[in-house]
Amino acid sequence: MLEFEAKKPENLNQLLEILESKKSKIKLLAGGTDLLVEIHNKSDRLKDFDYLVDITSLNELKGIEAKDKYLKVGSLTTHSEIVNSDLIGQEFPILKKAAKTIGSTQIRNRGTVGGNLSNASPAADLITPLIVLDGRVVLKSNKNKRELRLSDFLTGPYQTDLKDNEVMTELKIPFVDSNYYFNFQKVKRRKAVAIARINLAVIAKIKDQIITDIKIAFGSATPTARRFVKMEEYLKNKGINQLDYDLIKDKTGDEMVKITGTRWSTPYKKPVVGNLLKRALQEIIKEVQ
Amino acid sequence: MDKISVELTVNRKKYKIKVEPDERLLDTLRERLNFTGVKEGCSIGECGACTVILDGKAVNSCMVYTFQVDSSEVITVKGLEIDGKLDPLQRAFIDYQAVQCGFCTPGMLISARALLNQNPNPNREEIKTAIEGNLCRCTGYKQIIKAIESVVKKDRSE
Repeated sequence: MLEFEAKKPENLNQLLEILESKKSKIKLLAGGTDLLVEIHNKSDRLKDFDYLVDITSLNELKGIEAKDKYLKVGSLTTHSEIVNSDLIGQEFPILKKAAKTIGSTQIRNRGTVGGNLSNASPAADLITPLIVLDGRVVLKSNKNKRELRLSDFLTGPYQTDLKDNEVMTELKIPFVDSNYYFNFQKVKRRKAVAIARINLAVIAKIKDQIITDIKIAFGSATPTARRFVKMEEYLKNKGINQLDYDLIKDKTGDEMVKITGTRWSTPYKKPVVGNLLKRALQEIIKEVQ
Repeated sequence: MDKISVELTVNRKKYKIKVEPDERLLDTLRERLNFTGVKEGCSIGECGACTVILDGKAVNSCMVYTFQVDSSEVITVKGLEIDGKLDPLQRAFIDYQAVQCGFCTPGMLISARALLNQNPNPNREEIKTAIEGNLCRCTGYKQIIKAIESVVKKDRSE
C-alpha cells in the first residue's frame, strides 16, 4: 500500500523550495484525473513517492495571456478553460477542438494542460496539436528556468525530461499567420470518454493552391507522438488539386512502421493513419476552396 | 500519515474535518459526512456516478483528494432539494421516467444542474456534452435528455 504525506504550498517559491529539498520522493498533483486513477489501480507506471504535493492553488501557474509573439498558457489551465477561451478559439482552433475530445465534462473541469503534457501518454490529445504548433514548455526550479520544445520534453511513452526539482509553469505557443489551416482527427472506440486509438494534428500554409508549409503529427501511432517529417517533405510545394491520395496513404503507413516497427496493432493502424491524413487534407482543402 | 484540517461547505452547511492525505472527496462525502446520494461506481472517472458540483463545476469526486479542496463549496444530489422542494430537474426525471435502477441518477442530476446553472438555455448537443461523462445502463438516455429539455423549455416559457 502506497503511503504518503500531503503538502500544499501557497505559492510557487514555496513549491520550488520543497522540490529542491525533497527531490525524488515527490509527486506533483494537479487535476488528478490521471494520477488518482493510477493510485487507485496501483499502476506499474507509478513510481514510489513519499510526498504528494498539491499545486492546484498556485495562481502563478494559471491563466491564458497573449504576449507579443506567443500565447502564454499557464500549466494549471484546465481543458474546460481551453475549450471556453475566446483567445484560443480565435488563434488556435485546433487546440480547442482537441481539448473538447478529452474525457468528459467532469474530467475537462479538473484535468490540466500541464498534467496532460507531463503524464506524456502517447495518446494525449493536446500533444499532437502542440507539436505541430511548435509549442514550448517552461520548466522552473529554484535556481534555473529553461524552455524546451515539446518534442524535446517528451522523451518516451510516459517519460519526460522534467527533473525532480522542476515544475512546468507555462506553455508558449507561437502565433501563426492567417494563411495557416488547422485540422485535428481522433479515432476512438466510442464517442465520449474515450482515449485516442490514433490522433492526428495538421497545420498547413496554403497559397495560390500550393502547400507551402505543412506539419503533421500523429499520436498513438509511434512510441511518443511525433511529426511525420518524410510525409511533410513529400507534400511540400504540391498543388492541392494534384494530390495522389493512394500514394500518400501508403507512404504514411510506411513511415509509421519504419518508426514503430511491426506490432499487433500494425495491420489496423497502418491503413488508418493514411486514411486519417487523407481525411485531414481533404477537409483543409475544402476549407481553402 | 498526518491528518490535514479541511473546511468544506457541503449543501450550504459548513463542516470542519481532519482527513488523511489519500482520502478522496467521495469518501469524505459518503463515509464521513453521510451524503450517500453520491455513488461510487467505477472509481476511475469513467462512470460519473460520483459527480458533485465543486465550486460551481461538475467533477468526479473519485478523482479529487479532500485535502486539495479546502474552503471549497460542494453540492451533492441531497442539496438539490431546498426546504422540501424538489429541484425542477428532479421533478422532471420522475415525470419523464428517466430513472430505472437509479444508480446513475444522482450523478446525472448533478451534471444537468451544473449545466443549467452555467447555461440556462442549452440545446440538445450541449445537454449531451454535459452528461457524456455519466453512464446509464438502463434508460438508453432518451428519457433523461427529454427530462432535462423539459426543464429548459419550462424556464423559457416563464
